[in-house]
Parts: sequence; C-alpha cells; structure tokens
Amino acid sequence: MTTLATRRQAGPGGSTPSRPARSGASSVGRPGFAWALPATIFFALFALVPLAAVAVLSFTSWSGLGDPEFVGLENWETLVTDPVMVKSLWLSLLFIVLGVVTQTPLSILLGVWAAGNQRNRAILSAIYFVPLLLSSAAISVLWRALLDPNFGIPGQLSWLFGDGNLLGTQSGAIGVLIFVGMWQFTPFHTLIYQGAAKGIPTVLYQAASIDGAGMVRQFFSITLPQLRNTAITSIILMVVGGLTTFETVLILTNGGPGTDTTITAFYMYQEAFQSFDFGVGSAIALVLVVVATLISLVVVKVSGYDKMNSSLEGL
Amino acid sequence: MNNRTWMSRSLAGTAVLMLGLTLAGCGGGGGDASSRPENELHLAVYGDASNKVEQAMVDKFNQTSDVKVVLDTIPGADYQTKLQTIIDTDSAPDIFFNWGGGSIANFVKADLLMPLDDLIEEDPQLKDAFLPSVFDTAVIDDKSYGIPMRGTQPVMLFNNSDVLKQAGIDAPPATWDDLLDDVEKLKAAGVTPIALGGADQWPTQMWFQYVFDRVAGEGLFQSALDGDTDVWDSEESREALGKLRELIDAGAFGTNFDSVKFTDGGSPTLLSSGRAGFELMGSWAYATHLDANPEFAENVLGYSEFPAIEGGKGDPANLAGNTNNFYSITKNTRYPEEAGEFLKLMYSDEFVQEQIAIGNLPTTTNTEEFLDEASNPEYAKYQFDLVKDAPHFQLSWDQAYPPEATVTIHTAVAQFFSGQIDEDGFIKAMQSL
Repeated sequence: MTTLATRRQAGPGGSTPSRPARSGASSVGRPGFAWALPATIFFALFALVPLAAVAVLSFTSWSGLGDPEFVGLENWETLVTDPVMVKSLWLSLLFIVLGVVTQTPLSILLGVWAAGNQRNRAILSAIYFVPLLLSSAAISVLWRALLDPNFGIPGQLSWLFGDGNLLGTQSGAIGVLIFVGMWQFTPFHTLIYQGAAKGIPTVLYQAASIDGAGMVRQFFSITLPQLRNTAITSIILMVVGGLTTFETVLILTNGGPGTDTTITAFYMYQEAFQSFDFGVGSAIALVLVVVATLISLVVVKVSGYDKMNSSLEGL
Repeated sequence: MNNRTWMSRSLAGTAVLMLGLTLAGCGGGGGDASSRPENELHLAVYGDASNKVEQAMVDKFNQTSDVKVVLDTIPGADYQTKLQTIIDTDSAPDIFFNWGGGSIANFVKADLLMPLDDLIEEDPQLKDAFLPSVFDTAVIDDKSYGIPMRGTQPVMLFNNSDVLKQAGIDAPPATWDDLLDDVEKLKAAGVTPIALGGADQWPTQMWFQYVFDRVAGEGLFQSALDGDTDVWDSEESREALGKLRELIDAGAFGTNFDSVKFTDGGSPTLLSSGRAGFELMGSWAYATHLDANPEFAENVLGYSEFPAIEGGKGDPANLAGNTNNFYSITKNTRYPEEAGEFLKLMYSDEFVQEQIAIGNLPTTTNTEEFLDEASNPEYAKYQFDLVKDAPHFQLSWDQAYPPEATVTIHTAVAQFFSGQIDEDGFIKAMQSL
C-alpha cells in the first residue's frame, strides 16, 4: 500500500509529462529496464510476495502453530456475517472523512500563512511542526495521560467535560482520536501547502492588486485554485493514513469502548496477533488492500488527477 | 542488448528469487533434538525485574553442569506473541515461562510439550514441594506440564483505610451486603466507592471471576472451559450477572471508569489520593503503591478477601488471580534430564529466599519458613495463608482460556459493565468461545 501511495505522491514533482521516448532521438545511453531492476526486486520482495502470502493465508486456519490448514472460504464467510467487520469498515470511512474535513482547512490556512513573510513566522512555524517529530506511540501516551478523567485536563475543566468519560463513550473516543490525528498530522500537511503556496507566482497577486482585489478575494481566486493539485495529494495521503491508523487506536482506546473504535486496521491486528487467528487476520488485510485501492482510484478519477496538467500552464 | 531481453531476464530472476524464498519459508516446523545446539539449554522468560533471580539460578546451575543453560529474556508485552511464533520452529526454547492453563493448552494439543510425570515419579518433590492449588493450574488432561516458578498473585480487595474511616466503615466488607452498604456510605461521603481501571478491561474481568465463583462455585467456569457452554445460561450464571448489575447500578464504580486505566497509574491514584474507597486488584498492587507512594502503602493501604455471597455455592475461601507462573519443557529438547535437573532448583531454599527478597511470593511449602525476610512480612504472610488455605484457586479467565478467547472475554466484560450489552448479550458472547 505504502509503495502505491508513495508512487502517487511522487506525482506532482514529476507531473510534467515525460517526453515520448520515440521522438526520433537515439536511445543510446538512455535508462533501460535494468535501471528499474533493484526497485522491482525490492517491490516484489517486500510488497508482492507478502501480498501473495497473505492472500493464501486468508484461505487457511492458522494459529501460528504447525502448518496452516486449508479451510476454503470459511474465513470469508465469517467476515461477511461478522458485525464487527462491517462496523469497522464504516468506522474507517468515518475516520477518513472526519480526518480530511478537520485537517484540510486548517492546514491550508496555516500553510498559506506560513508561506508569507510575517515577523516571527519562522519561530511559530517551528513550534507547529513539533508534533511531527514525535512518534505516534509517544503522542498517544501523552494524550492518554492528559485526558485522564480524574487527574488530567477533564478533571480540571469539569464544567466543560462533565465526568470526563471521554474515552468511555463512542462519540468521545472518536472525537479524541480525530483530534489527536489532527494534532499530529496537520503540521505535515501544512508543510506541503506551505511549499505549494510559496510556488505561486507573485505576479498573479500583483495583477490582482492592480485590479482592486482584496486579501480574501485573492485567497479564493488565486491561492485556492493554485493549491488544487497539492490539495489532492494531501487528501490522498490523509485517506491512506486514515485507513491505516493503528497505534493511536491501540494505545488510546484499544478499540473500545466495546468495539466502538475498532477500525479495520486495528481489527486486523486484533484477530491476527491477539486472537492468533492469522487466517481471518489475513482476510481482513486483503479487504483493507482492496478498499484502499478503490478509494485511491475514486479520488484520482473524481479529481481528474490522472490527466492533470500543471496549474502554471499558460503563464 | 535491448529492453525486451532485459525485461524477460529480470522477470525470470524475480520469479526464481520468490520461489526460493517460498521454499525457505516452508523449512520451519518440527525439527528434532539433533538439530538443536549442543551442550546448551535455552530458557525463555518474560523479561522484567524478576529476571535477576532467574539469572542467579542459571549461574548456579551452570557451575556444576556440562550442559549450560542460556537465559533468553523476551520483553514482557511481546512475550506470548513471540513464544507462539517460535515454539514450533528450530529456535524453540527448551524450557519456557508460561501462565499454565490456556496459555499452554494449544501447545499441548499440538504435541509440543513434554509431560513431566516421569520426572515427578523420579523426584516426587517436583510436585509435593508446591502448594496443590497452584500446581494443578498446569495440569492438563491429568498430566503435569509445568513446575511453578516466581510468585503467586491472588486478587484481593484493597482499601484506603482513611477513607473508610471517614465514611464510618469500621471493617472491610465480609459479605456482599456489607459491600453494598459500604458503597452507599462512601457515596454519601462524596467519593467513588470502588476504583476500577475499566479501560484496561482485565480489572473489570476480576469482578466477574470472583462473583461467578462465589455464586456458582468453581464448577461452572470449569464446565464452560471443558466445552459445556450451556452453563453460561444457567440460573447461577444469571444470578451472578444480576449481582454484578446490582453493584454497577448502585454507582459503585462511578461513571467514568471506562476512561481510567490501572496500567498508567489512574485507578491506583484514585485509591491512594483518597478519591476512592476500594479497588479489586492482584497482589502486585502493594508493590505498585509502594513504588508510587510508600507512605500510603505502608500506613494507609488495607486489604481483605473478596466478600462472601450469601446463599452462594462457592467457598468464600476460594481465590482468583494468577496462581503462579510455570516452567514447561518442550518435547524436542536435546537434554530432557538436564532440563529436569534445572527445574529442581525451583523448590530449593535459595530460590525461595531470593524470590522473597525481590517481593515475589513463591508457592512452595517451605516458603513459610522464610516469610519473615519479606519486605512486608505481615502482608506476605497474609497472602501466603490465603493461597495455602484456598480450596480452589481460579486462574484468571483470560489465561484459563487459550489466547484466542481473550479479546472476546475482555470486550464482553467491558460492554456489560458499561451497559452496552445486558445479561443475554454477555451469555451469548461467552457461549461463542
């Protein structure tokens, strides 16, 4: 999955359409397939082989002891009728939507702001990026402690949080996970938008100023359209990230209360490594692969990313 | 050379590589004694503070033996996963740490463990030197598969004696009705009656294993474990669930227990800071408090047995918790005799003394002689007598069942406590195991 995402993500950088090889120029000294061999072998070893192994495992019953035993479609039948599996897919979808909706506007605003020349901008930017330097596990442990109902923030602000049972209710737990995700990943997306915003030619703004456009009008008429490609890149990353969110769920809620935050990636871990049912775990992993691929395809199709041209065309 | 040749060659190369890997992957599984290292016995243990005693035992053994024992400590949180991954391969340990019961049942079923009955016949002390209620945890299908090591960890009802006094409670509750009365008094005094680390789920389960044992006796859970899942729908089972529901509905645990953990110090701090009156917890709670707040552990922390339930079939002296940890021997070991010799150290005086010195409570019959050397002799003695006199010591539910049941049990107990499922929902979940 990651490889797929990384390749897509590399899009904008190399988005200038490569010149057709058959343009009449000699192919001598040009990269042949051999140049791609190391990457191909790596991809085969670390993506294709495990994927194939997981596909095979999904038709077996295996606890890690002895040899896997073929059970045909049994795991798949289990999953189709498993209410937790269905719920987990909906939850994953909810996580993706909420993640995109909360992180995108904020990171666009911060990114555009950080691309400017204000005073103290560098210092504030540096502070914003701190969460990016911490590991997900550290962040989760930190928030877990901060959100202790009796001795953390909720205990101090009881007028706001009531009894502080944030992680003990479904809406509270989802809210916390979305908030922590936002806290952790907004800096990253801000960074992407900052880079893109810096690349917008100043002549556009100068022209707009002469025409009498104010700050707000400039933002909506120039900045946002110019950030379109970046936004799609960023959203695809958020989608893939949301789908594979794992550590925060494991540490903050452990899928609870009950199964209320058991998203698909966590459910896969739970079945495979806590319940030692690698067959079902592998089946869930395959579902995750298919869903992620579908979502990526949909995003690419809907956004027209596949035939996207440079936003600077015509300048 | 044109691109096409390159393409086909590299694809062929990749295919060969993949095939090779697949074949290599199938090489594991089984193995026999001759493929194991010479003159070495590998001992896998759960990595934590107790390892220093284990290392001392290994050193002692190695002084006189030609076959050297090698101690492999595996970080605690990963222990069970790692063990499950290697036990069926050539890298399997010869002797390994486990919890008895369900934690080794799958290994026994897969014929990976060596029954210890022959060793015990040669040296009856391997069985007789240990408290029977503990030793039996590692007996599966009438064969012994483990020798107790480390210490016992019964679950007890801890209290903050200052809080109880302020709420007008003179003594820890002896019966369920006393407990319900105390809950009312503590609520009136403005504190959470019972601290509960519900987010960890296993502390919630502790309430179930005791109430079921008190109401229905040890037979109900044993029958369920043996495969008769109808017992979950029995009158006794429903009565036990009713008792728990009564306690929860009385507000005994407050409203935010699902956000509180034991493992990050949440629920112990509720107790030690005087914001809760009781906490049901394993005997390690003393060490936890001693570490965080010695003053509280030594002067204020009180402890008692789980209350009796009037009219229940279970003996009020029964215990639940971790009976002990065990050493088991894998069948493929190259040196079964030496491994047996090593296990004999587990009932030696020296072992018992060293365990007591680090705060563990070994379950040998000679432990009693050394209790005065414990850091808190009174607490050690109280605990030891509980274990010694217990007619039955119920291994925690999540360890009595094989590991694959853990998630189901934990989810069910948590959902029952928070009201997400009712009696029928809980029964259905347990019957699915």
